[in-house]
Amino acid sequence: MNIYVYTLRRLLYVIPVILGVCAIIFLIFNVVAPDPALIILGKHATTEQIVEIREQLGLNLPLWQQYLDIVKSAFTFDFGRSWSTKQEIIEMIKAGAVPSATLSFPAFFLSTILGITIALLVAFYRGSWFDKITVVGCVTLMSVSSLAYILFGQWFFAYKLGWFEISGYEYGFPYFIPYILLPAIIWVMLSVGPDVRFYRTIMLDEIYQDYVRTARSKGLSEKLILFKHVLKNAMIPIITNVVIQIPFLILGALLLESFFSIPGLGSITLNAINSSDFPVIRAMTVLSAVAYIIFSVITDVLYTLVDPRVRLS
Amino acid sequence: MKKLMLLPVLMAALFSLVSCTKKEALNEKVLNLVVGSEVKGMDPIYANDMYSSNETARVYESLLEYHYLKRPYQLSPNLAEAMPEVSADGLTYTFKIRKGVLFHDDKAFNGGKGRELVAQDFVYSIKRLADPKLQGLGWWTIDGKIKGLNEWRDNNSKAEKVNYDEEVEGMKALDSHTIQFTLVKPFPQFLYSLAMTFTAAVAKEVVEFYGNEFLNHPVGTGPFVLPEFKQSNRIEYAKNPNFRQKTFPCDASEDMEAIAKEYCGKQLPLVEKVIVNIIKEDQPRWLNFQKGNLDFISIPKDNFDAAVTPTNELASDLSKKGIDLLIQPSLDVTYTAFNHDLDVFKNKKLRQAMSLAYDVSTSNKLFYNNRALPAQSVVPPGIAGNIKSYENPYRGYGRAEQIEKAKKLLAEAGFPEGKGLKEFTYDCPSSTVSRQIGEYFKQQMAQIGIKISVVQNTWPELQKKIDKRQVELWGIAWGADYPDAENFLQLLYGPNRVPGANGSGYDNPDFNRLYASSAIMQDTPERTALYEKMVRMAAEEVPWIYGVHRQSYVLKHSWLKNYVITDFDAGTAQYLDVDLELKKTALEKL
Repeated sequence: MNIYVYTLRRLLYVIPVILGVCAIIFLIFNVVAPDPALIILGKHATTEQIVEIREQLGLNLPLWQQYLDIVKSAFTFDFGRSWSTKQEIIEMIKAGAVPSATLSFPAFFLSTILGITIALLVAFYRGSWFDKITVVGCVTLMSVSSLAYILFGQWFFAYKLGWFEISGYEYGFPYFIPYILLPAIIWVMLSVGPDVRFYRTIMLDEIYQDYVRTARSKGLSEKLILFKHVLKNAMIPIITNVVIQIPFLILGALLLESFFSIPGLGSITLNAINSSDFPVIRAMTVLSAVAYIIFSVITDVLYTLVDPRVRLS
Repeated sequence: MKKLMLLPVLMAALFSLVSCTKKEALNEKVLNLVVGSEVKGMDPIYANDMYSSNETARVYESLLEYHYLKRPYQLSPNLAEAMPEVSADGLTYTFKIRKGVLFHDDKAFNGGKGRELVAQDFVYSIKRLADPKLQGLGWWTIDGKIKGLNEWRDNNSKAEKVNYDEEVEGMKALDSHTIQFTLVKPFPQFLYSLAMTFTAAVAKEVVEFYGNEFLNHPVGTGPFVLPEFKQSNRIEYAKNPNFRQKTFPCDASEDMEAIAKEYCGKQLPLVEKVIVNIIKEDQPRWLNFQKGNLDFISIPKDNFDAAVTPTNELASDLSKKGIDLLIQPSLDVTYTAFNHDLDVFKNKKLRQAMSLAYDVSTSNKLFYNNRALPAQSVVPPGIAGNIKSYENPYRGYGRAEQIEKAKKLLAEAGFPEGKGLKEFTYDCPSSTVSRQIGEYFKQQMAQIGIKISVVQNTWPELQKKIDKRQVELWGIAWGADYPDAENFLQLLYGPNRVPGANGSGYDNPDFNRLYASSAIMQDTPERTALYEKMVRMAAEEVPWIYGVHRQSYVLKHSWLKNYVITDFDAGTAQYLDVDLELKKTALEKL
């Protein structure tokens, strides 16, 4: 089958999935959502105001129409306005996406490259002291809570040594860079542990395969085997792991953004949850669901590109 | 070798990027402030939380304001030329508005130049607050107060489009610079609503020009301008170049006379720029202050011991850096409310027993770093109605004899050792500290045999439960909307029950009578006497278990001039000054 036809077909499958996701979101939010009047009107709400606000928000519409509104928002990205800030939600998301992306993409890119490289090296030196120390180091890095990295990093490197900005964010290149350096380093510290362990297992699985032995017996250098053959064959799990994380990168890093005052999507989500701002929570849920579905299609297509054995069917 | 060279080059590049931050030059007076929560938007009618209201008030102004240097708080004219003329029956308030006040320049105006403020702007702005389609959050401040306004609101709520041309009897622009309000009944607290940001002057053409996006395009008459509001981590205001002739006050309360003397008559605002940083977490706020990136902060709970000694003095390492400590009680009260709809809590002796068993001193130590004042009744210190030396006979301090007395009262109430009482629920908000306060309450009640289970809720859920009467006991606090005991006493006024402010549903005919007669009185010694009578009643009747009045602890850098703690922060940035010479030398020490 042609790859374009395949992609198109996969994208068509997305539609019923989105309808299903919307149904779940609709159910959850209609069952647990508190009365919006209290959120919007605050401590001095009167009964008439509550009636009026329900009317304005369309909460008196038939249920199927409310469901259709959610479905529509998943395709048009028109999520309405936030209950608590009264800002246009899509504008809030657009404004938050840039700071989130400037932090998460470089950090993610760096930690993935670092993770894969270290994993290849330890696979190469498997069983040696280097391998052991790395594994122990990874476990140690993973055992420390993320909050500890943040609090210590901010106090020691930013405040005591003055190497970085304590917190904040400045829009535009290159002004944002000083502000994202420390959070990005902490991000890498946090994810390099699990990444190395994950990729190491994949590499070790591959390294004992027959084709590696064949390559060795042909007299290929270890370097060539590792980077050309092993890495290529390990690509499928690596792609799965990497691509599927991308939608969550867009959502931002809740704690890092909050502690470093980065006005990203993580902060927006956190505020929305704290103030029960349901349209925003709903928008973020719909968006991440849609992004997740799209990226899983991308993963499937990528499989066929890196490994011809995966058939499009 | 090449590869080895790459690393240092990369490192150098990285560090050169670190230094490309936009640093503040010390040749311009800039205020660096901080807020701990998101700022929603810049529309005065929605500025119902402290953060949004403070920001909005940098750009917009109201008829009145609180005198910056007078305590107890006192209203003074802002956009009004003088305090209003009040008719003998207390129903009509006539204001003269200052001449020559200009709105900020904006493309919404003809030719982009801000026009002069007129009386009609206030009529429009207050109608906007009452607009049923907009659901302004400050409507409660004028609800049922201005003649004809509620009718206007009701008529328009059914209409397709709200008709702003329809006259409201109680709100008239007599000429271009005179506005007259007529009230439904005497309500002396009406003036406070004219000092709130809700009633600030907005220009009709700007509101119409920006439509739904008006909240992001603040165009007021205030000391600072903000071309566009964006939800971000920073808001940067510039001095309004066309700000009217407004000078620093020359009169002040005794303890603030020195400030008045030094700055008397200087043109406001005193700084060129105000930068507001939004920093939600305590640690970055604390570190940024210590680095000199912020001019003042309230001390975060976890840093309190590092900043203040047990004798309530500033830690020596901070004072060496030129940092000052300021302390002031806040106008608030924390309490545990009873649901008075439940028969069991109609039993006064039970309420008194529970109040006596609750040790407020330990709770002060545990949850407020021992820096709050145990509340004796509902009205906090600093406003008329609070009785300085008054001791609530049912205020518990954990003394053995008090616990004995509580047990005795409980037996008299018909529940010896708590027998016959079911387990009560105690509802609280979802923060960790709220939970701890709940657990502490549970432990205190267990001393006399009363069983409690703690339930946590998000804030809207708790509000909903209170409104639907699905609560038994709950922990909550009230902060003053304006500096008048009425604002606290209304919480116990029977007819104010939910959805009004009286969440506990306390309803005592004697108290109600006193409240109703005080509510229409002007600020006089007679009214204060009535307030005090109610305060005693509210103590002895134990409608709630009182908690504490919190105190503000603020640290400020030496270069920040004229800073005083106030419960009504809105609009105060114009009085603050920065001493650049001092800042240069002080920064070296940090």
